[in-house]
Amino acid sequence: MTGHVSIRLASERVNHCVATMNEPPRFYTPGEVITGMQDFMRGHGTYTEDDCLKASVAGVMEKVNKLICIRPLKSRYVGEIGDVVVGRVLEVQQRRWKVETNSRLDSVLQLSSVNLPGGELRRRSAEDEQMMRKHLQEGDLISAEVQSVFSDGSLSLHTRSLKYGKLTQGTLVKVYPSLIKRRKNHFHNLPCGVAIIIGNNGYIWISPQNHEGVMEEQKDDDTVDQQSVSRSDRETMARVKNCIAALVASKMMLDDTSIMFAYEESLKYDSVKDLLDPETMLDISFLTQHRINNIMEE
Amino acid sequence: MPATDLLSSQGLRLDGRRPNELRRIRCRLGVFTQPDGSAYLEQGNTKVLAAVYGPHQASKSKLSTEGVVVNCQYSMATFSTGERKNRPRGDRKSQEMSMHLRQALTAAIKTELYPRSQIDIYVEVLQADGGAYCACVNAATLALTEAGVPLRAYVCASSASMAAAGAGSAGPEPLLDVGHVEEAAGGVVLTVAALPTTGHIALLEMSHRLHMDYFDIVLSRAMQGCRDIEVILDRAVRDHLAEGWTKQDVMTI
Amino acid sequence: MWTTKTFLTKTKRGNILKIVREHYLRDDLLCGSAACNVCPHKDDEYVLDPKPESICALFDYPHYLVLDTNVVLHQIDVLEEDALTNVIILQTVLEEVKHQNTAIFQRILDVIGNKKRKFYSFVNEHHKDTYVERNPGEKQNDRNDRAIRKAASWYETHLSINNVKGQHPKIVLITDDEKNRKMAQEEGITCCSVKDYVENVNGFVGLVDKLSKNVIPESCSKDALYPAHLTPAEIHSGIRNGKLHQGTFHASRDNFLEGTATVNGYEKSILLQGHIGINRAVDGDLVAIEVFPEEEWRKPSDIVLEDKADDPGDLLEEESVLLNAVKPADNKNEITPTGKVVGIIRRKWRQYCGILLPSKFPGATRHLFTPAEKRIPRVRIETRQSDMLASQRILVALDSWPRNSRYPLGHFVRALGPIGDKDAENEVILLEHDVPHARFSEAVLACLPPNDWTIPPEEIKKRVDLRSICICSVDPPGCTDIDDALHARPTATAGVYEVGVHIADVTHFVRPATALDKEAASRSTTVYLVDKRIDMVPDLLSSNLCSLRGGEERLAFSCVWEIDENANILSTKFHKSVIKSAAAMTYEEAQIAIDDSSRNDEIARSLRTLNKLAKKLKKKRLDNGALLLASPEIRFQVDSETHEPLEVQAKKIMDTNSMVEEFMLLANVSVAQRLAEDFPQCALLRRHPSPPPANFEHFLLAARQQGFEIDVSTNKSFSKSLDEAVIPGRPYFNILLRIMATRCMMQAVYFSSGNHTQEEYYHYGLACPIYTHFTSPIRRYADVLVHRLLAASIGADVTHAELLDVRYAAALCDNLNYRHRQAQYAGRASVALNTHILFKYRVEIESAVVLAVKRNALQVLIPKYGLEGPLYLPSDMFTYNEENHMQICGDVTLKTFDELTVRLSLDSTNLQHRKLVFQLVKPFVPGFSYVPEEQKEKKPEQMEVDKEQENLKKRKDTAQSKGSKKKSKKK
Repeated sequence: MTGHVSIRLASERVNHCVATMNEPPRFYTPGEVITGMQDFMRGHGTYTEDDCLKASVAGVMEKVNKLICIRPLKSRYVGEIGDVVVGRVLEVQQRRWKVETNSRLDSVLQLSSVNLPGGELRRRSAEDEQMMRKHLQEGDLISAEVQSVFSDGSLSLHTRSLKYGKLTQGTLVKVYPSLIKRRKNHFHNLPCGVAIIIGNNGYIWISPQNHEGVMEEQKDDDTVDQQSVSRSDRETMARVKNCIAALVASKMMLDDTSIMFAYEESLKYDSVKDLLDPETMLDISFLTQHRINNIMEE
Repeated sequence: MPATDLLSSQGLRLDGRRPNELRRIRCRLGVFTQPDGSAYLEQGNTKVLAAVYGPHQASKSKLSTEGVVVNCQYSMATFSTGERKNRPRGDRKSQEMSMHLRQALTAAIKTELYPRSQIDIYVEVLQADGGAYCACVNAATLALTEAGVPLRAYVCASSASMAAAGAGSAGPEPLLDVGHVEEAAGGVVLTVAALPTTGHIALLEMSHRLHMDYFDIVLSRAMQGCRDIEVILDRAVRDHLAEGWTKQDVMTI
Repeated sequence: MWTTKTFLTKTKRGNILKIVREHYLRDDLLCGSAACNVCPHKDDEYVLDPKPESICALFDYPHYLVLDTNVVLHQIDVLEEDALTNVIILQTVLEEVKHQNTAIFQRILDVIGNKKRKFYSFVNEHHKDTYVERNPGEKQNDRNDRAIRKAASWYETHLSINNVKGQHPKIVLITDDEKNRKMAQEEGITCCSVKDYVENVNGFVGLVDKLSKNVIPESCSKDALYPAHLTPAEIHSGIRNGKLHQGTFHASRDNFLEGTATVNGYEKSILLQGHIGINRAVDGDLVAIEVFPEEEWRKPSDIVLEDKADDPGDLLEEESVLLNAVKPADNKNEITPTGKVVGIIRRKWRQYCGILLPSKFPGATRHLFTPAEKRIPRVRIETRQSDMLASQRILVALDSWPRNSRYPLGHFVRALGPIGDKDAENEVILLEHDVPHARFSEAVLACLPPNDWTIPPEEIKKRVDLRSICICSVDPPGCTDIDDALHARPTATAGVYEVGVHIADVTHFVRPATALDKEAASRSTTVYLVDKRIDMVPDLLSSNLCSLRGGEERLAFSCVWEIDENANILSTKFHKSVIKSAAAMTYEEAQIAIDDSSRNDEIARSLRTLNKLAKKLKKKRLDNGALLLASPEIRFQVDSETHEPLEVQAKKIMDTNSMVEEFMLLANVSVAQRLAEDFPQCALLRRHPSPPPANFEHFLLAARQQGFEIDVSTNKSFSKSLDEAVIPGRPYFNILLRIMATRCMMQAVYFSSGNHTQEEYYHYGLACPIYTHFTSPIRRYADVLVHRLLAASIGADVTHAELLDVRYAAALCDNLNYRHRQAQYAGRASVALNTHILFKYRVEIESAVVLAVKRNALQVLIPKYGLEGPLYLPSDMFTYNEENHMQICGDVTLKTFDELTVRLSLDSTNLQHRKLVFQLVKPFVPGFSYVPEEQKEKKPEQMEVDKEQENLKKRKDTAQSKGSKKKSKKK
């Protein structure tokens, strides 16, 4: 069986930039002096030396009154209370799970922060500790919310809501966190029949839409949702994933609107794998950007 | 000891550069999507790739509560040198280079911001034509900048050597950015990794003994080289930023 | 602009490597012409004239010359002449010349550096418009030719930019390569061959003579006399698979049809015989040799053979002369591996002095040149000035040796002066021994202090003030460069003396990396000819400011010991000092002062202490195994007006000679020990390797014949058995034995401590574990370096980079050893020259001793004059007993150490190689020995003997006498 391999020269690389904005903002690079005055407060991405305020990352300056921060283009996820995150369980420890959330320290999901099967509210007993593994194992994907931030910056998560919990039957897409803006709602059901969870930490979960809540608590482990996903659903999910990749390549902000626009633009390409061509990706992002601009102007 | 024959009577080196000129440097940030930061840098015919992962949770054994742990791995591809190099990493030279890289980069990274975290830096030399270490440091700096790791300043590395008085020139002349041919001709090679904005030196290494009379001029030429490289790296970073910037406050639906 | 150059090479192991190199092309390179309107020249960067005057009749308009590589390589003599100016040397050409011949490269660089010659070096390889890439499949040479043509045409267009047509200089490409010329003409470049150009130059006589004959040696196969040489590729593969060997060819001085070469893998040197065997190799060349199978090995001939034919034209004579003379070997030991030369790897040709043998045909331009050096064959040159040159000593350079020419081809370089003229002859000696003897340049003289320099007070403060101590110096009479002075005085402790050796502080004036230093390093030593002295440093320093003259304050470097009565050293210290020498005495004066018991002043007491201690030191050394060897030292008395030698006599040795010598040795040893401690990697020391047993064979045999067994296992046993080998009644015998022993020794050499193990530091002759030269910085550069190291060691001075560099030190030592050897040879040649002049009109009858017995001659020595030479014995009268090295005729036996009487005269038939002729007087051999006139009258019945031997082959005198001004320290 023959396959199709496309190998391109680096010199024929496509430039994915779709920024139609006017001139770029003022950038600061590491070691550059921002200001010499002492009145300002230091925020993230800055440090003082020799009575000057200097940038420590490459990025754009954000000034809020007297607070100066430099925001880099890319960085690891810095959590805040109330963020929705998608993470993977790394370890099962005594009374808690360690969850990897694309941040600089692993997050913690306390046993007391999860909804027990059965839905009761009771104190966790020793028996529950033994049963932790039955609930969540190493390698499981979960969606959760940030409950609190420890002093060293690591997050404490909780899944105390029905919409949070273990994730099954879907695909994970990893993008970098600065492309994701904080919104009210991170759980979206796209019109195309796909449900996505946009985690603030840059992990996006795509799953087929299920009319009954898919995240229902299961009574026992034997009846894990094993419904096979239909081919059309899988195609849709794949298409959505590729659209997200196209948007990421053009460094566009991700939210349900832009993803939806991108999906609609991509429909003209029949084969999902064609969406992986660089020109196609550029085309989709360009059109999406165009539509967004139109909306902005209205 | 100054090496002979490296400077022609016209004051040009073997490849046509003047003693104070760097080799052609080309670089690009963001060549990989998976690592947090990546960069590709060419310095003449020396080509290196750098990838940075982190900061992320440090493994228990390496954890440090005082600051971030920096791990470096220096690896040379088997096809990078003229004769096939059978062991890309793990041999003594690579381990020593990894340690040197670590020393140079740790001087620039603001480690106190990230206790209990770890940053992994992987550097691969694709083609070695002299000055591989310097190119690695420069590439790693770019990768770190792209990953958003806070740095005190850029770390730039440059090498310099000493040539004996060429025919007709005034005296021994220091050469900037030595390539493989000039390294092999004998003569001392001084490698400097420094933070040019402040002038602090992070690493200083010399291949042979050098007389005190010559040390100062060679060092100042290498520092000048670091400053020149910093300008080039800065421009590359700015170009990358301009290309990839997004407006965060676009959507107000 | 950036490109790469890629090529493939093969490593030693046979792996193929791909090498990629960067190549930067620049746009800031200047063309150097004042006629150019484009390049941003600064004022001093204009080298080529805007409107150069044309000197060649063929090209009557202003033009610049562009030269090909071969033109530079072969015609360097023409280029050095002032005739050609406004020449462009391309970088391509320069690189190739550097690669092929460094000497010529240096010379062309000097020409380029001389602003008046207007030679411009254009960097065409890195200029973006003239860089040429190699086409696939194109050979490197063709590519280079293409680059040269491209540069030439670029210049043409470049100069015409913004210039009125006809107002700018044109370009003429000079190349001898026909193909190149043809292609250049196709591209529109004017070109010309060297010969055509130079022959049409007006105004410079003699330029044409300097043209070298650029015949490609291997191409003339018709009338070929010699077999062809192998190509370099064939030689390389032959060496790699072991069929051929590489070695340096050494011609035999006595036999022009024989030579040897030392080759790896064979203990003895390979013998090369005959015209075919030698196949156009010249002494010093690096050759490829094919060794014959063992059955064909022969032994070296021990006859003397010379090329006497007047000019046989291009024919090779019969070699039967040679072959017949060598009997088949009866002694296996004498057979040496034999072979033949099949190719030349590298020629080592230099310029040779000699005289012209004018051709018999009047009006001819082709003549033969006979070099002064016997090992170089005659050379055929072309000159139109033969009448003028016939009486001159001339300098000739070799060009090539084609197969169909009996002699190599060369060209005349310059004339040195009339034959027999003192200066010309001295010049010949200096040139032949590669002694730099030009006047000190302006740059060097600029480094000197002013004439009226005195010691500044700050300098005195930095040093130890010894002006109050009674210091005196002892030197040969007439010595102006006084290096050393001594003092001795008792200390407060009874039985302990303070002894000091003070050496002139030359390093105060000769600072590192100055022009003066570089010149001194190049000369490495002062060369002493009989009537002339070639100084290492200018006169102001050597005879005045550095010299420790009597009564004057001078800077010095002192070595002071505390020594007890039995000459044991209790402490040593070194410091820089200021001294005031109380007296500069001669050896005789000092001896008189010691012996005169009525004198009791400080100087006399000091000398007596020194003398006493010196004797004890000497005894210690001898007990340790130091060798006391003798050499026949002679001195010339020279007429002050004509500078002709008047008389020659052997030197007298007095106590005081030995006294000074002992303390100099002690100082050298102390300094050596200190240096080895402080600079284990780069101390400059001197070693004397033990001679291998093979060197002693003849010596032992000769001694055995006289009944003495000499034990040469260690230097101590050697010294002891030499002392015991005395024949009562023949006092000269022991001295003679020691003279012969000297000839078995190896040369002592300088070395850098990093390059040898500690055992190798040993000095055999002095029986010291470590030694160096410290005491004569005025006349030896090695001592200057030792001074610098010692000064750094005691903190009186700083080091500089090159002093501590091991590689540089090794190269420097090689140069020092080479110059030292050459200076010795030059000195001996000068003595020989003067001996010949002395004996021009004199005939002497003197007693002599036999040093060695050869097949057809005896080597005799005349002790009175220290002169040596061969005394030929006709083979029809004398039988040579090989085993015992004896010559027998009737009942007369002649063997080594026999005493004879000989008649000494000079044979001037060969102008260049005058020889001393020895004739036997006693023991009387009828029909052979010379009978003086008086005797003839007294005893008429004795046969008239007046045989001037016609077939005496001449050998150059190899007297081992020394000049007058050097001290007797050959160690």
